[in-house]
Amino acid sequence: MPADTSITAPVSIPVPPGRSALTEPTWVRALLIVGALLFLALFLLLPLVAVFAEALRRGFGAYWLALTEPDAVAAIKLTLIVAAVSVPANLLFGVVASWCVAKFDFRGKNLLITLIDLPFSVSPVISGLIYVLLFGMNGFFGSYLRDMGVQIIFAVPGLVLATIFVTFPFVARELIPLMQEQGSDEEEAALVLGASGWQTFWRVTIPNIKWGLLYGVLLCNARAMGEFGAVSVVSGHVRGETNTMPLHVEILYNEYNFVAAFAVASLLAMLALVTLVVKTALEWRFGDELAASRH
Amino acid sequence: MAIQVSGITKRFNDFTALDSVDLEVKSGELLALLGPSGSGKTTLLRIMAGLESPDGGGLLLNGEEALGLKPRDRQVGFVFQHYALFRHMTVFDNVAFGLKVRPRGERPGSAEIKRRVTELLELVQLSPFAGRYPAQLSGGQRQRVALARALAIEPKVLLLDEPFGALDAKVRKELRRWLRKLHDDIHITSVFVTHDQEEALELADRVVVMNQGRIEQIGTPAEVYDHPASAFVYEFLGQVNRFDCTVEGGIARVGDGALAIPTQGGVQGPAVAYVRPHDLGVTPASAGPARISGIHVVGPDARIDIDLAGLSLEAEMDRERLATLGIAAGDRCAIHIDRARVFAR
Repeated sequence: MPADTSITAPVSIPVPPGRSALTEPTWVRALLIVGALLFLALFLLLPLVAVFAEALRRGFGAYWLALTEPDAVAAIKLTLIVAAVSVPANLLFGVVASWCVAKFDFRGKNLLITLIDLPFSVSPVISGLIYVLLFGMNGFFGSYLRDMGVQIIFAVPGLVLATIFVTFPFVARELIPLMQEQGSDEEEAALVLGASGWQTFWRVTIPNIKWGLLYGVLLCNARAMGEFGAVSVVSGHVRGETNTMPLHVEILYNEYNFVAAFAVASLLAMLALVTLVVKTALEWRFGDELAASRH
Repeated sequence: MAIQVSGITKRFNDFTALDSVDLEVKSGELLALLGPSGSGKTTLLRIMAGLESPDGGGLLLNGEEALGLKPRDRQVGFVFQHYALFRHMTVFDNVAFGLKVRPRGERPGSAEIKRRVTELLELVQLSPFAGRYPAQLSGGQRQRVALARALAIEPKVLLLDEPFGALDAKVRKELRRWLRKLHDDIHITSVFVTHDQEEALELADRVVVMNQGRIEQIGTPAEVYDHPASAFVYEFLGQVNRFDCTVEGGIARVGDGALAIPTQGGVQGPAVAYVRPHDLGVTPASAGPARISGIHVVGPDARIDIDLAGLSLEAEMDRERLATLGIAAGDRCAIHIDRARVFAR
């Protein structure tokens, strides 16, 4: 049927103004946007606002008093100490582990990667219990430690250990894919150009991963300060001595001291907000460099 | 500086990358390591630089045993396939790196470093780009930065891994000429790896053809092209027609006697004959044994696909010659062969 398939003049189909063929009708778009916003407001924004509202319900004076009473100050101090030890420890470990995994081939590499991920897959309560079983009074090393006069469980060292365990993967997880993607060409180039291993590490490797590293440290810190489960098991809840901020919040709440509980909680919420702001600022300010280091 | 490779062997698990390779690079020459991927050419280059250590054999750099030396002590310049420029440093800092990391006693002062880097950037024609980052440069510019960076440490040997591999055709040609000129000016002993035979033949003083971890042939570009030492070299260098044939009394017979090719050398019995497309003559003949299945004109040349009793052949001639022959696709024709190289099967 050659006559039927002959080419006719092209037909032009008018496109309604302001709407292309790729957009959905207005009511669909409105529904989706409103739905997403409602969800965000209900589950994320409302709780955040509630924390601050509850904290300031009796005015700023009560809020300030709750934050400056000795037990609260001790909890804040302890949280800072725990983070100050565990974050650098994990920073060091994360860099070393990702350096090994990304730049070298060795037996048991997959096992190491799996082990790094372990804290993510184990319930934090279990993580805490492991340390009680190891270092507690009736634990594995319990009697030895008692003879030595060292207390780990129900003391600051236990809190630090549990926090390190839980925040183990943050830096390494951030760096391993980045370093794997970058390969080791630049390191090899540096070595051929006469740099020592140390010079290569500081002048080539570290500058290439610095943003990823900062990012990992930020997340690690947020978790270290906010961790509850593992720390709760090893802490013993001694007021003013082994209570970190999240534990202090729980105690206050259980005592129906809502204003004080929410006041301390608001500090943690602020930490989260600051972390987010810094993270976003980093991405905005150094977005090009972040992209370049992954190119 | 001369390089002497003797009996170098390298295995990766079960794969033999280099199988007892011997090679001498003469002082001041530009040598190409040519071969398909997996032939071991890059591994050999990396062993020369100290980035890989062989399982056996010896390496002399300027007469001195070099396998025990670290890369930094070998005084080699290395240009990586993907340049491996330091992405967080400017062009200037990239080129200056090799000077800045020297031990305190040997390190030139910052004014001296600046002078040397400026000089090198002039040499590679990148002076206006000193303050840029690698991501802001084109492929050809990055390549030249990599070269300047390698030359900054005043190496005795320059090693280049697929130096033009990642560039587009036009830039590649320009840069090739430029590198040849640069080599003629500074006469540094240079070895480059390539899988592109045209690049090797055009650029190098001598070409080393490698296959499966062994050296097939070493020679000037004309030698390896005109007198291939093995069937592999013949097939790898340029387009080629391959015939399974039987040689009897100096005549190679293809198929059922459809084609008879005069041969030289003492090959007898089953063999493989190779004919370059430009050595394959075509004449129109209405009762000829072959048929023209297609004609492709590429620039000044014409490529003619020929079907000879089920065998696909390729002939090449210039367009003027094609016009005088007056042949078209579908015509029958006769073919004659002036030159063939026969290897026993």
